[in-house]
Amino acid sequence: MNAIEVSHLTKHFGQLVALNDVNFSVTKGETFGFLGPNGAGKTTTIRILTGITVPTGGDAKIFGKDIVKETIAARKQMGIVHETSNIYTDLTAWQNLMFTAELYDVGKVERETRGQELLELFGLWERKGDRTNGFSKGMKRRLTLAMGLINDPRLVFLDEPTSGLDVQSNLIIRDVIRDLNDRGVTVFLTTHNIEEANLTCDRVAIINRGMIAAIDSPEKLKKTIQSVQSVEIALDPVPHQWEGLREIPTVSEVRKLGDKFRLITEDPPSVISGVMAYAEEHNTRVISVNTYGPSLEDVFIKLTGLEIRTRGVKTVD
Amino acid sequence: MTEHAEGLRQLRAEFIAAWAIAKKDIIIYYLKPNIIVSGMLFPLFMFLAFAVGRPGVPSVMIPGLIAITILFSASSIEPVSIPIERRMKTFDRLISAPVSLHAVVFGESLSGFLYSIGIAIVPFIAGLVLFGTPVLNAVPLIIGVLLTSFCFATMGTLFASYPTESPGDIMSMLNVVRLPLIFISGIFIPISSIPSFGQFAVYLSPLTYGNDLIQAAYSGTTYFNPFIDIVMLGVFILLFQFAANRLYKKFNE
Repeated sequence: MNAIEVSHLTKHFGQLVALNDVNFSVTKGETFGFLGPNGAGKTTTIRILTGITVPTGGDAKIFGKDIVKETIAARKQMGIVHETSNIYTDLTAWQNLMFTAELYDVGKVERETRGQELLELFGLWERKGDRTNGFSKGMKRRLTLAMGLINDPRLVFLDEPTSGLDVQSNLIIRDVIRDLNDRGVTVFLTTHNIEEANLTCDRVAIINRGMIAAIDSPEKLKKTIQSVQSVEIALDPVPHQWEGLREIPTVSEVRKLGDKFRLITEDPPSVISGVMAYAEEHNTRVISVNTYGPSLEDVFIKLTGLEIRTRGVKTVD
Repeated sequence: MTEHAEGLRQLRAEFIAAWAIAKKDIIIYYLKPNIIVSGMLFPLFMFLAFAVGRPGVPSVMIPGLIAITILFSASSIEPVSIPIERRMKTFDRLISAPVSLHAVVFGESLSGFLYSIGIAIVPFIAGLVLFGTPVLNAVPLIIGVLLTSFCFATMGTLFASYPTESPGDIMSMLNVVRLPLIFISGIFIPISSIPSFGQFAVYLSPLTYGNDLIQAAYSGTTYFNPFIDIVMLGVFILLFQFAANRLYKKFNE
């Protein structure tokens, strides 16, 4: 039995088709990434899988329980970490945690023991009696995650768990995701952070315009676009006319990434010599060169067509 | 576990969740000093509005004042708190919990019910202490206050099902319903004096039955049989509960 089994799922909002015949499954103990641009259908999928929204067609099962017909039984298996840190800011951290535990019918002794463990794990035990309106964004996010785990779920939905967080909170949350995976908990993760998905997920699905564009392990997805290799360079000083990098033979695309440039090519060695010639011509120095195979981000961009053209140079949104 | 035992366990879980929601609402919304003070001042202002400058004994107004106080206090907070929770996305936490929507609606109403009972004590005490208004029979008073409070608390939760993040949207709709209720429920105008074209509306107002029961406690007479009052209030509670459950489900689809 799979942790999640989605079959021919569709959702219409009036004329808008939010999900169009979506099919996928998530095995027990798997960390499954769900990627897609804004408006692709990620949130709608999560709302259906958690029983908040009813699908127009198709079905979804959580550990064999139909989410529409056996909603409560299905929800008992899961913990949900919503995209927004939806905690009650007039309650203390401890009150928030205990309230969630009562919603999930966790017994008094168990919820108090587990509550302490979770607050310690997320570095919030010292602040357990403080009202959360004074918490930082990272602390609120960590508390939201603790609330999602208070019922010791077999399946956790994490909707953008690390979006916009400080380094400390990011590290804690990533450690927790790894720990959940080690304990055999199934994780369904939506994220905009493609590198995060690459590092933490066993498999990822890329959804675009309500349809699944690809599902596979990150490495296998990368192999589907081997032609997209790249050379990343840093120049000092950065020339004003850097759009000219696109004229280097075999370069198909240039992406400006901060103070560096990524040159997409099928032939990195020839590009490196082209870059040296370019640097000499423009009186600049090449201070670093790195070559890369295709990234999951490249796969994402290719499958979703998510790119912005600026004066002939592509920048990643 | 047998199906029966599983059913009982789930029922217990639903009550625990409903009580948790009620406790949460009480701490966050009802125990705010401004909410308590405004709740206590409301009956005073209503009393002044209708008693000052009128001939007659103010004490006869006490039962009606209790009924109006319950109407407004029970139904006022959820239409504000639920849209705020929608905006803060904390409402998603409630509707994604492993309990039915009935438990969520019941829990939300429970807090309004308890608050309303607390506020209704103010005109009751005032009647007793300031005007020496005697209670002839406490039983209809207790039943009337309990049922009327729960009825209007559930009505507030029902109105709050409208899918908006702005409390003003709901309060404006709610007042269109609440204000006319005062005048068609036998509080200021005896039911027998209401014109025949308005008699139909009298029967559709839950406040009619609540007020009738509370009046019985003070005057010893009722317009309807008290049993009818109790049954009708029960019917309205169930109607509001099931309608709210249905609408919360529909608006989340």
